[in-house]
Amino acid sequence: MSAVYLNSISENASRLGMRLQESFSEHTRELTLAKGSSSLYLEPDDKGRNIRKQLDSSSDREKLDAMKRLVALISKGRNVSEYFAQVVKNVASQNLEIRKLVYIYLLRYAEHEPDLALLSINTFQKDLTDSNPLIRAMALRVLSGIKVPMIGSIVVLAIKKCAADMSPYVRKAAALAIPKCFDLDTSHLPALIGIIATLLRDRSPLSIGSVAVAFEAVCPTRLDMLHTQYRRLCRILLDVDEWGQINLLHLLLRYARTMLPRPTEEDIDVDIKFLLTSAEPLFQSRNPAVVLAVTRVFYYAGPPSYHSRMVQPLVRLLHNSKEVERVVIAYVLAVSRTAPTLFSNFYPQFLVRTDDLRQVKQDKIKLLLRLANFDTHQAILREFIDYADDSDDEVVSDAISAIGRCAYALPECTQQCLSALISMIKNSRDAVVSSAVLVLKYLVQAQLSAATTSSFAVVAATPQESPLTIISHLARRIDDIRHAQARACVLWLVGQYAASTEPSRGPEGVVEWAPDVLRKSAKGFSSEPPMVKLQIITLAAKLLVLCPTDHTLSLICGYVFTLAKYDLNYDVRDRARMVTSLLAGLGLSEAVTAKDPDQDDRGGVVLRREQVRLVLFEGKVSVVAAEENYDINVELGSLGMITHRPMHGDSALPDWLERGVESSLRDTEDDLPVPPPATSFSSSAPPQKLRSLASPVVLTSSSGGRPSGGVKPQWTDLDKFYEDEDEDDEESDDGSEEEDAEASTDDGSDDEEEYSQGEGPQR
Amino acid sequence: MAIDGLIILDNTGRPIIQSGFRSTSPAYPLLHVDAFNNTVPKSQRQGDIDPVIYVPPYNVADSPSACCHVECGDMRILCPVSGDVDPLFAFAFLQTFIEILREYFGALSAATLKDNFDVVYQLLEETLDSGGHPLTTSPNALRDIVLPPSLLSKLLSVAGANINSAMNSGSALGATGGPFSSPIPWRKAGLRYNSNEIYFDVVEELKAIVNRHGTTLSSSVWGKIETNAKLSGTPDCMLTFTNPHVITDCAFHPCVRLQRWKRDSSLSFVPPDGHFTLAEYRFTPGASATSARFMAAGAPAVVQSAKENVPIPFLLKPTVELTESGGTFEFKLTSRMPSQTIEALVAEMYLGEGAGGVKCVASRGDGGLSSGRRGTPETGSSSTTGSWTFDQRKMVVRWEIPVVPPSSVWSLRGSFTSLNSSPRPAHALQVRFTLSSFTFSTLKVDQLKVTGEVYKPYKGVRGKATGNVEWRW
Repeated sequence: MSAVYLNSISENASRLGMRLQESFSEHTRELTLAKGSSSLYLEPDDKGRNIRKQLDSSSDREKLDAMKRLVALISKGRNVSEYFAQVVKNVASQNLEIRKLVYIYLLRYAEHEPDLALLSINTFQKDLTDSNPLIRAMALRVLSGIKVPMIGSIVVLAIKKCAADMSPYVRKAAALAIPKCFDLDTSHLPALIGIIATLLRDRSPLSIGSVAVAFEAVCPTRLDMLHTQYRRLCRILLDVDEWGQINLLHLLLRYARTMLPRPTEEDIDVDIKFLLTSAEPLFQSRNPAVVLAVTRVFYYAGPPSYHSRMVQPLVRLLHNSKEVERVVIAYVLAVSRTAPTLFSNFYPQFLVRTDDLRQVKQDKIKLLLRLANFDTHQAILREFIDYADDSDDEVVSDAISAIGRCAYALPECTQQCLSALISMIKNSRDAVVSSAVLVLKYLVQAQLSAATTSSFAVVAATPQESPLTIISHLARRIDDIRHAQARACVLWLVGQYAASTEPSRGPEGVVEWAPDVLRKSAKGFSSEPPMVKLQIITLAAKLLVLCPTDHTLSLICGYVFTLAKYDLNYDVRDRARMVTSLLAGLGLSEAVTAKDPDQDDRGGVVLRREQVRLVLFEGKVSVVAAEENYDINVELGSLGMITHRPMHGDSALPDWLERGVESSLRDTEDDLPVPPPATSFSSSAPPQKLRSLASPVVLTSSSGGRPSGGVKPQWTDLDKFYEDEDEDDEESDDGSEEEDAEASTDDGSDDEEEYSQGEGPQR
Repeated sequence: MAIDGLIILDNTGRPIIQSGFRSTSPAYPLLHVDAFNNTVPKSQRQGDIDPVIYVPPYNVADSPSACCHVECGDMRILCPVSGDVDPLFAFAFLQTFIEILREYFGALSAATLKDNFDVVYQLLEETLDSGGHPLTTSPNALRDIVLPPSLLSKLLSVAGANINSAMNSGSALGATGGPFSSPIPWRKAGLRYNSNEIYFDVVEELKAIVNRHGTTLSSSVWGKIETNAKLSGTPDCMLTFTNPHVITDCAFHPCVRLQRWKRDSSLSFVPPDGHFTLAEYRFTPGASATSARFMAAGAPAVVQSAKENVPIPFLLKPTVELTESGGTFEFKLTSRMPSQTIEALVAEMYLGEGAGGVKCVASRGDGGLSSGRRGTPETGSSSTTGSWTFDQRKMVVRWEIPVVPPSSVWSLRGSFTSLNSSPRPAHALQVRFTLSSFTFSTLKVDQLKVTGEVYKPYKGVRGKATGNVEWRW
């Protein structure tokens, strides 16, 4: 009794609890989501009708709500540019959240509604002086996004202003605005280059990556601007943010390839070495793109002895994620093409897993094939044999052809490959059998052609491995080979290579085992698929040409031709007819021709035996498919290497100069290791400056033809006079810029000191 | 180097959120969404979608592009790239962006993002310039600019008090607490905690391939040190290990001073606030003290590590027989751990296209029927015998054992039929498992020294090992 009572109490209690919970959760749902964003996202479009009213209202909450509605509409793909005018009014809102949403809206639509955006230019310009760096940067971003060439000069001014901003974040935004301004109107190039030059001297590592972006977009050929910055940029590489490191590494690599001498094992330029040593720690970045950028530097600027250092970082990336693995394995494959030995110790890392992506599996198979050498081929071959069981047909055929290539490239494992391939022929799966047969055919053909041309004398196998033994081996097992394509292929091989000059027990001029294959296959002719029938006819014809005198052989052939003549399949009948008329001139025994009484009536050309032989045997393609060599010219770390298609706009790295430019061009007072003891710092600076001033003359002297000495030659004509004066102007410009540089670097170095004495960690 | 933009798709392939695109043609993002949606049904296996899809140009004048994509919860994030951009750049950005989203919203799903779409848009604008260049990607700096959604802020906004934005604009006016005021890009300025704590989770993953005879073909252990720092001010930490020579191939968070690691194998850093991955490494099994010196000399130590394999914590005996129209299989699993319990062990095998009619018996012990209970068709489940399921869509049979005590024996027998004449299952099982409070490398933290601040923080270190073993048959 009491138990029942207790039960009912507990039941009631739990019911009450549930009720409480329900009502509570309902309340909270109302509370948190009533005005939550989700409802805004999901609401139907027509509810947005009063957005305009809300935007015009005085309440910040209404405005915020309206802005959120607009952003929701944007993300649903609606065009909400009609509200532009109302939105722009709110750009000066005191509420930061509204302001940010307004900017998000403007960033989207400024490009599409340039005329309306023009109306608000004053506001943006005012925002450029806002106390919050976030607002300043956003204003600049919107301003540079307005695609009206008319305001180009305003934008340039704004960029210039922001380039001198206190906050590196704003300077970064300024750098990123430069390419946009350049796209708008290319006539601002000189001004923009000036700004880039200033920004290049920026001491804060935060913005330098974006400056590299601007440089590449606006003036990629003006690498001479980097001379004095090169060493400093190498030095601060570690402190730059990860995205900036990528851009900076690309830029420095291009500089090195253009301006520095080609490194060799014995002689590597100091500045190249400096770049390599500064970049090397970045192999330890967690960002895969940074690791690859460093790899590019080592691969394209380092001498071969440096290449081994990029191996382990690349292997590490393979374990990052499936997507990264997909890309990196393609790069590893590309690197291994030039230096297969680099990765050969790591082959266990490249073994295929069944849950790998298809492209990864295929690339890994290619890679393993390249890594197979004397020590590893056993293990790698076993892997390939395992991969032939894969559930993906493309992978299977890749694995089997890899076995074939293995046999071709490494003579010591040929026998093993062949036995593997031959056992695959008996497999029940079409993909396995057809690829195995194809590969076998290639192998045999390759070996035979190698034996005749003797250019591949190395490959020419020992007697027991000779291609003919393979064929005879296959021929003896013709009964086991059931797959149509495989059977057809074996029959073709037998016919093609049946000629023999050695005396044998069988018919003269034919290898011993060939007629038996014909006998066996003729027996079951009627039940064979057409593909095999065709090959039986061809085999019969070939044997007959080789040995027209043997009576038994011609009887079998006659039998085959007769069956074929009345076959249900057109192709088989046609082939039989063609072959019999081809063989008409052989003067064969009655068995073949007698049953064709109307043969003589046809007339026409009758071929002699040698001619028939030529027709039947020669002109067959003996191809060993050359290894595909697409994307040899594609660079490491570009999209084309992954898609295997030209992606356009692929900017190739320039080749090395024979001799680099004068290394003193890169000297700055920063790297002067120890100032000469006799002179003070102030007195050592001027000669330094002189040198850097004089060096452009060295550069131009080759083109201008002016002697680099101080004395000017006599003027010959007016044109030349002006030309020279221009050059002088340029020089003096350079000089003044140099001075600017000095001035600002001095300022900057103070900043730097502050930075380092503050809490900035030094690495 | 720049990407073209970012598109987030829900599981039906419809875009939810889309960044601005620098491209001139408005059809450009649609083209990529289309290319992705067309590729999905073509791939026969779930994982077989190429992560980089080639997208042919729409007009002759356009240049071709490619669509890089990753899965994220029930969503896909597409990242179109064109020109000679490195796809790794796209994937690196996607990874970073997903990490940021996780930091803001926890578990990610289409519903969460729809709930917080305004925050996601703000994040997109701050992390990605309209030209496709990443801007601010450090979570610490971002938290200053874009306020994370919190229950409090929602409640307040419902209550009508817009304290959130008031706080925001107020802090922006002041020179100190505002965005980008910190001298260290990855760390917030002016942090205060009542109790200063820092936690290190050493998480290692064993990746191995075992052939049908039970020989390990390749195995490697990849570890990460996941850190959660709740420290006030600007602490300068110095983490030392008792056995740093067991790890190699390291990668570090930008805060780690690389020169210091190179010099004396200790991690010196000013940590960001909150969760971050301090370091990643590879465990070198054969590395004794002598070989560590050997490595330091710069000689390649790889050959030796390839030979020294990490022992797999279990033994699997797979027997599979295939017939014309199906097959039978029997897997026998024995734990090799002397005292540790293997947890959450999951073995999966792909049965090939057209597979069906799967019937299994999962049991504990040597596999006599008496000791095991027969599972119901399609799903057999029992905590004492392990359970199995068959995924009709992925054609994968999955065997789960939640707890594997030391040296226990488990088995799964079953059969399947196949619509195709000869079944083509994958010739391997994928076995995943977890070992809590265990590390393969036995990497040991020696001590943590904090300078620059007066307090002594509480330090917690925890190990966890997971495994992903491919066992072929």
